[in-house]
Amino acid sequence: MNAADLPPDIAHAALASDALLAAVRAIAQGPLATQADAIDRQGDYPDAVLRQLGAIGAMGAHLQAPHGRGDYGLAIQAMAEVSRVCGATGFMVWCQAVCGLYLEQSRNPALTGELLQRHASGAGLGGTAMSNPMKSYALIEPLALKATPVAGGYVVNGSLPWVSNLGPGHYCGALAQVVQADGSSTRDVMFLLRCDAPGVELRDCPSFSAMEGTGTWGLRLKDCFIGADEVMAEPAKPWVVGIRAAFVMLQCGMAFGLVQGAIDSMRAVEPQLGHVNQYLDERPDDLQAELDALTARVMALARTPFDSSSEFFIDVADARAHGAELSLRAAQSALLHQGARGYLLSSDVQRRVRESHFVAIVTPAIKHLRKEIARLSAEEMPK
Amino acid sequence: MSEAALPSAVARAVQALAPWRQYICHACGYVYDEATGDPDSGLMAGTRFDDIPDDWSCPLCGVTKADFSPYSAPQALLADRDSGASVGTAAAACPTRAMQGRRGAPGVLIVGAGRAGWALAEALRAGDANLPITLVTACAGDRYDKPMLSVAMARGIAPDALVKERGADAARRLRVRLLAHTQAVHICTGTRTLRSTRGTLRYGTLVLAHGAQAALPPALPAALCWRINHLGAYQRLRAALGDAQTSGAREVLIAGAGLIGSELANDLALGGHRVTLLDLQATPLARWDAALAGTPLLQAWRDLPIRFIGGVSVRGVDAVGTRLRVTTACGQRFAADHVVAAAGLATPSRLARSAGLAWDGGIAVDADTLATSDARIHALGDCISIRGQASRFIEPIGRQVRTIAAHILGGAPVPYDASTSSVRVKTGSLPLTLPALHAA
Repeated sequence: MNAADLPPDIAHAALASDALLAAVRAIAQGPLATQADAIDRQGDYPDAVLRQLGAIGAMGAHLQAPHGRGDYGLAIQAMAEVSRVCGATGFMVWCQAVCGLYLEQSRNPALTGELLQRHASGAGLGGTAMSNPMKSYALIEPLALKATPVAGGYVVNGSLPWVSNLGPGHYCGALAQVVQADGSSTRDVMFLLRCDAPGVELRDCPSFSAMEGTGTWGLRLKDCFIGADEVMAEPAKPWVVGIRAAFVMLQCGMAFGLVQGAIDSMRAVEPQLGHVNQYLDERPDDLQAELDALTARVMALARTPFDSSSEFFIDVADARAHGAELSLRAAQSALLHQGARGYLLSSDVQRRVRESHFVAIVTPAIKHLRKEIARLSAEEMPK
Repeated sequence: MSEAALPSAVARAVQALAPWRQYICHACGYVYDEATGDPDSGLMAGTRFDDIPDDWSCPLCGVTKADFSPYSAPQALLADRDSGASVGTAAAACPTRAMQGRRGAPGVLIVGAGRAGWALAEALRAGDANLPITLVTACAGDRYDKPMLSVAMARGIAPDALVKERGADAARRLRVRLLAHTQAVHICTGTRTLRSTRGTLRYGTLVLAHGAQAALPPALPAALCWRINHLGAYQRLRAALGDAQTSGAREVLIAGAGLIGSELANDLALGGHRVTLLDLQATPLARWDAALAGTPLLQAWRDLPIRFIGGVSVRGVDAVGTRLRVTTACGQRFAADHVVAAAGLATPSRLARSAGLAWDGGIAVDADTLATSDARIHALGDCISIRGQASRFIEPIGRQVRTIAAHILGGAPVPYDASTSSVRVKTGSLPLTLPALHAA
């Protein structure tokens, strides 16, 4: 269909979306592609690329106007274009995007004004320390951060092992259990944590299998003061239930890009190796069909990102799990398709295998998603 | 020498000394045991099958005596007689026999391990010893007769004793792969896979037998109202109620006096608990003419602790201290220890929607073949709808199984006939056999 055949305002929006994706592709396949290996293995943090992506609105398409277009589908597709080239940077795009979601949904004027604007444009960079709280709400582990009420706010203590897209001048969304003097706790508080705040220490992490350049640090908080200007939600739990679908749905961009990149790798060797690759189980045409069907499923879900019902979240969680499973299968199949050439350390094909492991285990991991689906599917009964 | 050749007095004596025999209902699998009889129908323990009057009908599903045949309990395993393998070694060899590899034929995948799912698995295995069959169920997959939930208290059947066969045992016996405690989440028709909370399963043919759930109107909150559409929930309610004799009678309010509500009300009252039964209509079992059903039932309940209030609708249920308060739209208030929601059944739609299946108040299936709008997917039992009508009774299931099994096994087609003649209402004080009508 020709854009000229569409009604004018839709045509304009469609062109704008296409233009954004084209611009993202140009950055991804240009400056990002040359750095992908160094980001993965040497731990180079792609600061300049992230700023460029921010400047064109690639990390804020989901935010409401004026900071974005309120289009979750577009945000996912933009993330996919990045992930297709570099899974680590795709992940950081997600960290930035979800932090923007927290800021916007906080409805705290101290956070939704200039700070959100800087964030949406990439002038400010930030991430999310929500892996532990998400696991805690799924009854997988206890909350790590504790907040003690004091005059004007809270004093927070605790540590988190791995939080990404952090650094000097960065910030993240975090959640702590509010503990009273008598040790009791009735609620949680969600807040903005600035890496430069007093009492916040960024600690070196051990090396990971992949994606070293994701600005991942251990966070140790010692008597860190949080005031009203930093509070995003209190009580935090119902607020998190309201944004959980958007949080998880955005991650699909990482999987989609990775799978497309794997398919590209398979097609690249079809002329020389098609005669032997035909004996492999997972072939590019089938994987492409499965990816396209899953993308359509998620694009439909992306129309209502703030549906807080359990039914909707089950759907989102399952689509996210499918993306993770497809990532594992596609990345491994691409390696089988390419053979030794793909096994070289310098090859994006074996890098993508390690990135696919990340997609499968980053919170919520496949097992976490299935546990949540089981929990939410069970009929609630009287005690 | 046959019994018929003996002088009749001797023959009768021989027969009287013979061991108790069992007979199985073709339609629903109910086993009539001569040793226990069927007291509800006036057949005392020890009543020989041959002595049962011809107008007797199956207490579970209502079919006639002619639909029964002699029955012996199932063998532990379908041992390979030709090879002479013993039961033990066959069991050891069997676990992977019905498994499928990535490239192997995926076989039949059944969602739901209630009566319909298991009956289909039995029929398929009986017709094909090697067909891979997988059963996915959110519960444990234990086999039980749901109609017994309506009479268990009065008959003194302990909730645990309701399980006829453990799911794992049935799976071993039938060489079926059972994925219990596994939620089926999404059907991908493009790849012919079912996504579940324990992984993704391929199917050659998919059969949906997941049943219906109790409908919960907004006035009846899930956290405060019991729904007893399956054994697990029923067992929990029984545990919460306790025994009326030992821990005291409880006050139970049942919202909805249809089949389930009326049967449960009767059983709880016979068990010594005090029941308040509410309904929108003026009489219980209002689907039928009051003269036929509701009025005689209320008569039979005259001396039981059942208070029926018709013409009311529940506006809300609130927890007040350790008890519950139920308020109606017209301002009446009732206190209760427990509230049971019996306001009708509805088929959950997520799986059907994920496959884009035609839907009409249930999974729409062809009246003759029970195929859904997807040629690879069939459906049976409480989850289906034929020409816009759900039919949630026991008796049709056996016939639905025969239709689908014939299709899957590749035999001559067995068209399904959707007409059901009668329904057994298991209200203990007045069991009724009524013409099959469908809920509005």
